[in-house]
Amino acid sequence: MAIRAVAAAPLIALLVTAGQQAIPPAVRYEQHVFAGGAAPLAGTLENPFKGDRRSVADGEKLFSAFNCDGCHSLGATGGQGPSLADGRWRYGGADGAIFHSIYYGRPRGMPAFGGVLPPDAIWKLVTYLQGLEPAADLSTTSW
Amino acid sequence: MTVSTLLVVLVVQRAAAGASEDQWPMPAKDYAATRYSALAQITVGNAKGLRAVWSFSTGVLAGHEGQPLVVHQTMYVVTPYPNVLYAFDLSQEGYPLKWKYRPNVDPAAIGMACCDVVNRGAFFANDRIVYNLLDGHTVAIAAATGREIWNTKVADVRQGETTPMAPFVVGDRVIVGTAGGEYGVRGWVKGLDLATGRVVWTAYNAGPDAEILARPETFRPFYDKGSGLGQTTWPPDGWKHGGAPVWGWLSYDAALDLFYYGTGNPAPYNADQRLGDNKWATSVLARRPGDGTLVWAYQFTPADNWDYDAVQEMILAELTVRGRRRRVLVHFDKNGFAYTIDRATGEVLVAQPYVTVNWAKRVDLTTGRPEVDSTKLTGASRGSVQDICPTLEGGKNQQPAAYSPRTGLFYVPTNNMCMDYHTTPVTYLAGTPFIGLNAPYKPGPGGNLGAVIAWDAGLGKKVWEIKEKYPVWSGALATAGGVVFYGTLDGWFKAVDAKTGSGLWKFKVGSGVVGNPITFTGADGKQYVAVYAGLGGDWALLAGDVRSDDPADVRPPASFMPDLARHTSLGGIVWLFAL
Repeated sequence: MAIRAVAAAPLIALLVTAGQQAIPPAVRYEQHVFAGGAAPLAGTLENPFKGDRRSVADGEKLFSAFNCDGCHSLGATGGQGPSLADGRWRYGGADGAIFHSIYYGRPRGMPAFGGVLPPDAIWKLVTYLQGLEPAADLSTTSW
Repeated sequence: MTVSTLLVVLVVQRAAAGASEDQWPMPAKDYAATRYSALAQITVGNAKGLRAVWSFSTGVLAGHEGQPLVVHQTMYVVTPYPNVLYAFDLSQEGYPLKWKYRPNVDPAAIGMACCDVVNRGAFFANDRIVYNLLDGHTVAIAAATGREIWNTKVADVRQGETTPMAPFVVGDRVIVGTAGGEYGVRGWVKGLDLATGRVVWTAYNAGPDAEILARPETFRPFYDKGSGLGQTTWPPDGWKHGGAPVWGWLSYDAALDLFYYGTGNPAPYNADQRLGDNKWATSVLARRPGDGTLVWAYQFTPADNWDYDAVQEMILAELTVRGRRRRVLVHFDKNGFAYTIDRATGEVLVAQPYVTVNWAKRVDLTTGRPEVDSTKLTGASRGSVQDICPTLEGGKNQQPAAYSPRTGLFYVPTNNMCMDYHTTPVTYLAGTPFIGLNAPYKPGPGGNLGAVIAWDAGLGKKVWEIKEKYPVWSGALATAGGVVFYGTLDGWFKAVDAKTGSGLWKFKVGSGVVGNPITFTGADGKQYVAVYAGLGGDWALLAGDVRSDDPADVRPPASFMPDLARHTSLGGIVWLFAL
């Protein structure tokens, strides 16, 4: 096969180039452990609407309009899907990680919305979710 | 009895070969769905001496609805997703595993199961265990070896279809249905060939007559006349994503050669988007197992405004109704009414509330229709409609009742809650929820969230009631020893007197009970009772912070039930009890 004839160095260069061009770039969430201590090459994604109040309101509307509340409940407090209002994230809470979860979906039942929602709409959802304030005594339940 | 009926009876008897009072070969023990056993070693007098003799962790934390099977001194246990099947050898000390079967189930199903990733059990027929994987596959497994005999894709997870129900085998037909009323599926039942798994027929619950298998010469509903009802009672094309799923329990009358099942809610919840009766959602349907032919149907809740699925079991019994002996089916609907129905014709003989009901005043037996309180009608245009009883969890949900021919009473696990109901317009988007609802719950009258009742279905009257603090989401088991068994959401497994409801015995099983007790005779000749512990089902979603396995999912307590997590957490345990 042709690939056998390709020397290793050019192959790596090729992959790195491809990685830099991929949109959206590979995601790095805070729980990642990097082999050898080195993060793989990738870009970072930043939320263009971060902290924008209007985007929070738009995101809340989108959360219902695109049936997110059907699994995560109104207010994203958790239903069939996990709570998104507890400040904790299975797949990372960084801008790009949440974007990635919505855009590509996640294997345990999260559908991929990248085909039906433009990036701006996904960023508004990210803005809404990042704005939800977890309770101060979140980790403790008492009676 | 016609020749074909006789043949069916013979085949049925062979399929249940070895079935006797000592075994439990199908979800409700028998085709009449009674969950009644003639075993009588455990009695009202000695039940206080019950003790735990064995337990087994299933290794799975989701809601353990359903029940084990026991056939030929082997106990078969299906777990929630990922639907592991265990076979325990009851003839050896410690009941070691004979084998276990681990199917490769698509995790996408987790996101398409509305109400936890439950499985409601298996069916033993012709030396094979038949059950559904959550991701829309039905499998047949050799009972002796655990070898997969066939594996048929029946449902499409990508369209929101999942298969939590237990299949139902009649003769050489395996009957399965799809869930997905919250995902805008178009509900159906299918008949598979028991030998090969091939799909022989498919019958939709809504749509053109040809596709719901309603033929003018054979389809005779008692109340509704005319053709095309599965289509004309919807807005144009509304039936295509109209729900009417099948996720509950089936029963079968061999003499009539009819099987009975209920259908779930029409989709979406916002009734403004689907004006009309929406037949045959929220209905009971009677079909021929051989080819799926629809013989009669009756809709409990026309134009459902409250998510009142009708998938609960149809228990077959012979009862005296207004002085006449009748062959009936008895059904405790989510809508709060208990129905006693002539099972040959679909005529409603008795319909009385078995829990607090305020959405309808009564059911008119001449038309079969409920007299709806118009102030309780919902729909996005009506905003938040207050104080509707019962909630969308129903007066009863999946938790199956039991019927003792000895006492003539039905033993019914119930919920006692009311709700506000606020729907919003919703857009169908394949593979996502098609719901649009905010419906906060509140305790019903008396404050107890559940109860177990004994019900006289000939009279339509409650005989006794045991109030429970939480919704009773476990099934009931009735025995000839005069003992009724059930479990509670806070993890008690209880034995009570079938005549009076007096408590006889209880044991804390480690997690809330949402499964159904069974009983059988062990290799030592003793009577055993088995039940799953394993909180979940709707309560995995709604009970607040009852999980501990996911650090990224922490929830506030449920407003209507703030303290369930004080008593239980998720778990999955099979228990055996004996004297």
